[in-house]
This record gives sequence, C-alpha cells and structure tokens, in this order.
Amino acid sequence: MKPVLKATRLSKSFGGLSALKEVTLEAESGRIVGIIGPNGAGKTTLFNCLSGLYHPTQGQILFLDRAIVPEVPEAKAKHIRWCALIFLVLGLTWLPLFWSFLLPNALFKVELIVAGIFILVMRLLVVRGLARRQMWAWSLMFLFLLSDLFFAAWWLSVPASQLHLAGTPIRLGHIPWLWSIGAGPLGIYLMIQLSMPRVRQIYGFRPSPDAICQMGMARTFQNIRLFYNLSVLDNVKIGCHPRMDANVLGSLLRTRTQREEEALTEKKALEWLRFVGLEKRAVDLAGTLAYGEQRRLEIARALASEPTLLLLDEPAAGMNPRESSRLVQLILDIRGRGITVLMIEHDMRVMMSLADYIYVLDYGRLIAEGTPDEIRNNPRVIEAYLGGSIAHVDA
Amino acid sequence: MDVRSLGKNPRLLLMALLLLAILLPWLPMGGSTNYILRILTTAILYMILAMGLNIVPGFTGLLDLGYVGFYGIGAYTSGLLAIHYDMSLWLILPLAAINGAIWGILLGAPTLRLTGDYFAIVTFGFSELVVLVIRNELWLTRGPMGLPGISPPAIFGHPLTRDWEFYYLILILLLIVLVVVTRLQDSRVGRAWFAIREDETAAQCCGVNLIRYKVTAFAISASIGAMAGAFYAKWFKFIHPDMFKFWESILILCLIVFGGMGSIVGTMLGALILIPLSEVLRAVLPQGLFSARYLIYGLVLVLMMRWRPEGLIPFEWAQARKALLSKERLGL
Repeated sequence: MKPVLKATRLSKSFGGLSALKEVTLEAESGRIVGIIGPNGAGKTTLFNCLSGLYHPTQGQILFLDRAIVPEVPEAKAKHIRWCALIFLVLGLTWLPLFWSFLLPNALFKVELIVAGIFILVMRLLVVRGLARRQMWAWSLMFLFLLSDLFFAAWWLSVPASQLHLAGTPIRLGHIPWLWSIGAGPLGIYLMIQLSMPRVRQIYGFRPSPDAICQMGMARTFQNIRLFYNLSVLDNVKIGCHPRMDANVLGSLLRTRTQREEEALTEKKALEWLRFVGLEKRAVDLAGTLAYGEQRRLEIARALASEPTLLLLDEPAAGMNPRESSRLVQLILDIRGRGITVLMIEHDMRVMMSLADYIYVLDYGRLIAEGTPDEIRNNPRVIEAYLGGSIAHVDA
Repeated sequence: MDVRSLGKNPRLLLMALLLLAILLPWLPMGGSTNYILRILTTAILYMILAMGLNIVPGFTGLLDLGYVGFYGIGAYTSGLLAIHYDMSLWLILPLAAINGAIWGILLGAPTLRLTGDYFAIVTFGFSELVVLVIRNELWLTRGPMGLPGISPPAIFGHPLTRDWEFYYLILILLLIVLVVVTRLQDSRVGRAWFAIREDETAAQCCGVNLIRYKVTAFAISASIGAMAGAFYAKWFKFIHPDMFKFWESILILCLIVFGGMGSIVGTMLGALILIPLSEVLRAVLPQGLFSARYLIYGLVLVLMMRWRPEGLIPFEWAQARKALLSKERLGL
C-alpha cells in the first residue's frame, strides 16, 4: 500500500517548549490510523502542523507525494547562507554613512545614528528570519534591497562634492557602487529563485491551510468549530467551497454555469447530510443542534471537500455510548468510501474497534506504534497512561 | 389578499414596497412633497452606503472605520470627471466604482493581514488620509474651497433638476445595489464571507483563501461606496472635504449596527429609520436644541444596545429565514 501521508522527523517548538520531537508517521491509503496519548502529548499540535495551521520547526511532510513541508537540500541551504551573507555585508556598508554624522558640526546627530543602528538591527533580524525560514523576512529583505538601490541611484546621480544629508556633507567614496552591484544582482537572483514553486516551498512559502484543503486533506476540530449562525446546509456548502469554481462576476451575472454548479452543490451537500444522518435538520441553524449532531455536521462539512485524507480530532469526545457506537459505524462507512482516516481519540473502546494501526505520543515523542493488539500490551504505553510507579507495582 | 401572506413571500413584499416607492411622488402630501422626496433621497443614499459597508463588517466580520474615504473618493472622481470632461452620469458611475475598487484593493491587500482592532485603526487612518489629501492638493481638488459647479446628470440630453427625478434615479441605483448584494450573498463568494465572519480558522481549513475573499469584500464594498459618492456629487452639485469626515463613517456604521449587522433588510431598515429621524427631530425640537439631535441618536443606540444588541433584524434571523424559505425547494 502506498502511504497517503508521510511525516518525517517532525518537530515543533513554541519558544523553549517543544511540543513535538522528531515524530515520524505515515498513513496508508484506505486505512484508519489512530493517534493516542495522554493530555498535552502534542496530538493536536501534530494535526495543526499537518493541516498547515502551524509551521513545523523541522522535518518534512509529504501528502500524496507532494511536499507540504519539504526537507531543505544542503545545496539550497548553502544558497540561503550566501544570500544572507551578501545581504549582511551590504548592511554593513551603510555604516560609513552614519559615521559621517559623528563629524563635529553635523546636525541631527543623535536621530540619524539611532536610525542607522535601527536599520542594522532590522537587517540582523531579517537574517535571523531567513535562517528560520520565515516568510516575512523575504518581503523585508526585498524592501531593504530596494532601498539600497534607490539610495545608490540617488547618490550616484549627484556630484560627490554636493552630497548633503540633513545639512551634513557626506563622503561615501565608492560605496554607492557597492550598493548597486550588490543589491541589484542579489535581488534579481532571489526573484528568479522565488518564482520557482519548489524553491518557494523550501524558502518557507508553504501552502496555507486552504491550499492544503484544496489538495485533499480535510479536518475537524477538538473543540467544535462550526459556523453557528448559518444553516446546517450552508455549513456543508461551505465545505464544498474548494470543489467549486464560481467567482464574483459569475455570481453577479448568475451565469448558467454558476446556477448549475449551485444546484449541484446543493444536491451534494444534502447527500452528505444524509450520509451523516442530519438531512432532517438541513434548514436549522447549526447552533441549534445537539452536541453529537454538531460533531457529525463537522464531519459532513469536512467530507464535502471530497478529501483523500480526513483528520478527525477526538470525534467521540463528550458522546454517550449510543452516539459513539453510531460514530464508529459512520467512520467505518467513511473508510468504505476509500477515504483514509487519521484520528485522535481518547475513548479506547472506539479506538481499538476502529484503528488498523496506532501511534502513541507522549510529551511530544513517539513512544510506540503498532496494531491495536500490540499497543494494548506494550509496557511503555501502559506506563505513559498509568504512571511509572503503578506500572512497576503491577509488574 | 391577506396582508399577512406578504411576510411569507418576500418577492411579493418587495414588489408591493417597490410599487409604493414608485407611486410615492404622486401621492398627496399636503404640499411638502419635494421636502419629503429630498429626505427620502438622502435616506436611500444612506441605504446604499449602509448596504455597501455591510459587506465588510456584516458579511466578513471586519470592523471598517474608513468607509467614508471611499465615499469621498467616489464623490471627487465624479465631480472632477464632470467638471473637466463633462462626462455623462452613466459613464461616471462605473468609473467611480472602479476607482473605489482600486483604492479598496490597494488599501486592503497589505492591511487585511492584520486582525481585529489593528485593521480598524488602519482603515480609520485611511479615511483621515483621504480627507487630508482632498484638503491639501489644491491643484486637483481646490482643497477647502470645495468643488462647485458640477453639472446635473442628464438622461437623453434632458438634465435632471426636479426632486422626483433624482428620487427615481437613486431608486434605480438602490435596486441595482440590492440585486448585487443579494446575489453575492447567496453565492459561493457570500458563503465564504460568512464563513470568515463566523470562524476564520475553520473557514481556512474549509479551503477559503482568507486574503482573497477579504480583499474581494473590501473592493466591492468600496466600489458601492464610491458609486454612492458619485451620485451624491451629481445630486448636490457641490462637494467639500468636510462632507467626508470621520463622523460620516461612524454614522453609517451606526445605521448597520442599529439595523442588524449582516442582514441586508436590517441595514436598509436602519437607514430608513435613522436618517429621516434627524428631520423628524428638526421638526419636533425647538430651534436652539436642534444640535441636540446627535444626543438623541446616541440615546437610541444605547437603548438599542441594552435591549437588542444584535440590531433590529439580527444576522441569525436573516440566515434562519433564508434557510426556512429554501425548505420547499429542498423538498423537506
């Protein structure tokens, strides 16, 4: 079986706290894969990384053989380092400009020196952002390169003897040339690099959650997140969003394609509601549904985007035994439609009766994996759930 | 026909109201027809503005304090085009709308990444910026001297001067905007906006591209505001930077809060009640107390917030009603 999803050595840290440490897992096509672990084990963080809400600090995610978070090849990492170095050197060449304000009769001394220090610190921050593959760093870097070019053009167009800034004569020598030959090619090189989709991903332009949903990964949330003031049917229709094409113009003119698509969407949405057994509530507001119904509506909304992989975050939480046995049947039906399911669940009865394969997380680390039977008898899992001492006493 | 069945059939109700609106100039009003028509024209102008603004805070859930900026841009676009190029109204309206949309995109694309209060502050700054530019760029806008001598709109060479003619003109504009807004609301775009309003994270995970839909909402809202401004300039024939001050934004925001943010009928009702209220107060209050009318506005809003914080017609009512009306179509 080919894996639909493959995460390799995934880590995520918030400041000093690392919520995920080198987690490796995969979900094979058409199976139900479970993730269990005590509270705070990093299960939801893992889901957020997979669905694009968080950017993992390290590691790689492959979904349907496409990289959501690619590994950085060493060659590209070297390029980034070189770019950052050139950028930093360019920043340092600005220093003589601010030194000229140390001359005894310069005006606005303090202000301009503070401005110089500010620019240098900002450039250092940009370099740090690049090292962490943060997107904003790229836009800021382009802004700085543009300003380098702008000032270079300005200073090169004025005779050196007449060069004044805030009333102070400025001696820059050949530095403006350095700015133009440094910033120009670097900017163009980066522009070409960033126009390539694969390189963009490496540099930190990762697909946003909506793009990932478009690729075929849908999810539900641990604390239900429905559109409570909209009707049940509209909730599911919004789920259909990534599989529709209508735009503003089509909607304004009510073109034939738009109307046909709208009718088809309505039909599909009703079908999904029937699938989860909510078709009787289609015209009620989502906020008026009972808890169990809300859970099922969220699943219907996720299914409406016609996913290949469905992430379920504690679907049975807060359900009574009758509701949860109904849920088990629903998830089996979903698998029957060929959709791979990755689910987090605390209810062990639900998990053991559903999952084909289980991963166990504890403190952000993967401590065990295997079939339900293997997991049930794994001493490390028992220890994580019941605490070390009890397990020892038991043994 | 039973009057109550009107409420169950929105199309019939709309037709009845439209008939009333069309007949209105010819009903006997004790000699004050023109006065009442002018008030109604103002009220309908604000209905259009309210419907336009409603798209951003109402549908998409972003607080927009700078709406009047687009109103001003539209008015000056219209005024300048009319004075310098003597363009017809039918060319000016779409041009003003396009100009508004361009500025909406220029403002929205970088700032819509901000959330909540930060975004509101940026839009507030934008509206102040528009007024400052209009006031200071004398070569273009004549600044504080205002822009007088805008030619009245003409239809087939016949210039519109009478009050009922303007009344009909704005009625047509209202219908156009109403069709635009309702059609958008019931489409994929409108649902994406509602999703963003309800829960941004969930919307994103349902495949809604946040930035794209927020910018779209902003651009359409801006173009409706600019169109209203274009009409205003052609109607009033004189525009001045002071007409587009921050207070106007707050007033329009009040209209939609009063009427019910996110419901189209609510926003129209809000404008239809609050704008003529000012004229009613002019008649009721003694001369010296006339400036106290804003006090009464404030009081109305405070009472509203106490007893009906979601407005006259709350968003979820509108949604529940829309769903109920679709019941037959769905065969449930």
